[in-house]
Amino acid sequence: MERYSVFGLIKHALSYHENWQKTWRSPTPKKEYDVVIIGGGGHGLATAYYLASRYGVTNVAVIEKGWLGGGNTARNTTIVRSNYLWDESAALYEHSMKLWEGLSQDLNYNVMFSQRGVLNLGHTLGDMRDIQRRVNANRLNGIDGEVLDAQQVKEIVPIMDCSSNTRYPVLGASWQPRAGVARHDAVAWGYARGADRLGVDLIQQTEVTGLNIKKGKIVGVHTSKGDIGAKKVGCVVAGNSGVVAGMAGFKLPIESHPLQALVSEPLKPILDTVVMSNHVHGYISQTDKGDLVIGAGIDAYNGYGQRGSYPTVEHTLQAIVELFPIFSRVRMNRQWGGIVDTTPDACPILSATPVEGLFFNCGWGTGGFKATPGSGDVFAWTLANGRAHPLAEPFSIDRFYTGSLIDEHGAAGVAH
Amino acid sequence: MFYIHCPYCNERRSEEEFHAKGQAHLMRPANPEEASDREWGDYLFFRDNPRGLHQEMWVHAAGCRKFFNILRNTVSYEILETYPMGEQSSVLAEMTAGRERGEPRRAAGAVA
Amino acid sequence: MSKVEVFQQQPSGAVAAESPFHFSRQRNPLAPAKGEAGVIMAERPFLTHLILRGTPEVLLGGVRNVTGLTLPQTPCSMNSKEDKSLQWLAPDEWLLILPPGSEFSTEKALRGELGDGSYAIVNVSGGQTVLELSGPNAREVLMKSTSCDLHPRTFPEGRGVSTVFAKTGAIIRRPDAQRWELVIRRSFADYLYRWLLSAGAEYGITTQER
Ligand SMILES: Cc1cc2nc3c(=O)[nH]c(=O)nc-3n(C[C@H](O)[C@H](O)[C@H](O)COP(=O)(O)OP(=O)(O)OC[C@H]3O[C@@H](n4cnc5c(N)ncnc54)[C@H](O)[C@@H]3O)c2cc1C
Ligand SMILES: [Zn+2]
Repeated sequence: MERYSVFGLIKHALSYHENWQKTWRSPTPKKEYDVVIIGGGGHGLATAYYLASRYGVTNVAVIEKGWLGGGNTARNTTIVRSNYLWDESAALYEHSMKLWEGLSQDLNYNVMFSQRGVLNLGHTLGDMRDIQRRVNANRLNGIDGEVLDAQQVKEIVPIMDCSSNTRYPVLGASWQPRAGVARHDAVAWGYARGADRLGVDLIQQTEVTGLNIKKGKIVGVHTSKGDIGAKKVGCVVAGNSGVVAGMAGFKLPIESHPLQALVSEPLKPILDTVVMSNHVHGYISQTDKGDLVIGAGIDAYNGYGQRGSYPTVEHTLQAIVELFPIFSRVRMNRQWGGIVDTTPDACPILSATPVEGLFFNCGWGTGGFKATPGSGDVFAWTLANGRAHPLAEPFSIDRFYTGSLIDEHGAAGVAH
Repeated sequence: MFYIHCPYCNERRSEEEFHAKGQAHLMRPANPEEASDREWGDYLFFRDNPRGLHQEMWVHAAGCRKFFNILRNTVSYEILETYPMGEQSSVLAEMTAGRERGEPRRAAGAVA
Repeated sequence: MSKVEVFQQQPSGAVAAESPFHFSRQRNPLAPAKGEAGVIMAERPFLTHLILRGTPEVLLGGVRNVTGLTLPQTPCSMNSKEDKSLQWLAPDEWLLILPPGSEFSTEKALRGELGDGSYAIVNVSGGQTVLELSGPNAREVLMKSTSCDLHPRTFPEGRGVSTVFAKTGAIIRRPDAQRWELVIRRSFADYLYRWLLSAGAEYGITTQER
């Protein structure tokens, strides 16, 4: 597998870029693997990569019903931050943040991680108290964060209406300078290339249609292209988790909802950070290409149609225009939806299941892109060792019976 | 965009007037004091999440403010039936009866 | 006779009452529309608003005896006579609107008729007000503000619905062919006043205080 470098770029330029290698193979599945991962989104691919690179398990297959990274990984608005309230989740997201910071080098693939900072706006005194509390909690956990007042927000984002004339005036914000965005496709492709190089089989266009369970233990999966044996199975299928759990005969505390986003026509650079608002419910950033990326809320009803409802978009755009009157004439180019797997406490599930050898990594809901590296690493450890990684322990399904929920509705309040 | 028939207003109104309120026909454990942690957990947090027909509770929030039930397909988004609280879905009952009579399964869309 | 205590909620003596629009009118006085106004907006302040809850069986007779109005049982309809109206809000809920100052006497009379049955009467006069819209473009202004179908075919005279309006809610009613009525919450009055001014600007909007 060739390494990417400036010299490589020059070399290929001489042959008119016609001799680049395929980034990964298209292998025929083997009879059996040590670990089968269902779902080739960012989390599934990262899991495979870390299994092979860090934990020495290379006899691994990733089975994807569509194409790699075509699920929520392809549909998200790419915000990466780690300023969550509770110790358990802060530890998990900060673990991820540290991996983001070296990811392009680690993968030899530019994931375009851009630490341009994220603002979470406060519009009421209640918001501001929550922000104070969250930033204090973050700092105690060694996570960068500051509380800004409206004037300081205005200095960072001069085009935002921070006056007192709006329906919900901006009173301040939390500011995480290390947060930012990354290029979603590159993350999936970088992990795929890295995993493939280490011998992982990436099997696309193959749907898992059933689980082969013998005496309460997983022994393989049924797929649209035949059966594949497995000693362990990790299921990482986001919005489809309930359906796969159904194949194993148990229920998950998850409901699948459409979440939509939209992008505008490309504009000259005008917004160099990420702005989110729980209260008016909208968030926005600008890509390197110039498009404004805008995220809306989830539809309140369950749904598997990858589209969202019109009133939800309308509501979000009203919020964006109120914050940024300057964008009122910008045209939107495209709109789409993904199916997010929401849990009652807005925290993920990284857990063993009633079936021996079958593990689930799901429930990331509206905010799992930022966790891709950390989730992959922690889940890979879990699969390699057959028990929960210490960072994953609090996120088992059991918490819905013991009552130790980790309520992150505040930090995850706006769907992102 | 849904256009939903409210069984109390007895007419169709736009989605914006309604709120979805989750799975319908949930039963609280009959003896809460005696329910185990498992029963409570299941009752509070574990919901059906089907790819297909789903029975849901909605409320006509901006209209008559009554709760009612909807039978809806979560993939095609077709609403097959709305019916008042305290009643059961007649469409589902008819489907079950049809299956018992040995009739072939009809596509969900053919029912409404 | 019912055992429920009813008291006079209207202050006696010279306490000045202010309409929910008092502040809005001062801050945004409405210039007379240039030329022919497309929309004429008029508040009907200080009316008596009572919410009646119960089954039709319990309420029907007593309500008719006291108000002279028949309880409408067709959803989304209302019955009116002169300056009184009675609107269906839900299968067990009606809105009774009467001339100003009749809260106390009406509630007493109703309780006298209805006795100790299972019902509720709540005086909401202070919490909401009626805004009347007329003129050739009244319907257009409303259409900009709600997703509810206002075409005369689906919204005939005598219909009234509670629905979404701008970023809040309102009751929209059509007492006769010329007029539309909005029943709106006091706390949203200023917002809706300004909303209507801006929505009506293109047609020319003016107020007419009675
Ligand atoms: C509009 C939108 C905006 C978002 N914005 C953000 C954001 O700004 N920041 C953030 O952190 N998060 C965000 N998220 C959430 C984030 O996208 C997800 O949490 C994350 O990408 C999930 O990754 P995943 O790999 O688990 O799932 P996915 O990328 O969805 O991958 C799951 C894969 O499993 C496959 N699959 C499913 N069933 C089967 C089967 N039976 N057999 C084989 N394969 C199967 C699917 O085809 C899919 O490719 C957003 C989500 C959406 C929809
Ligand atoms: Zn209704």
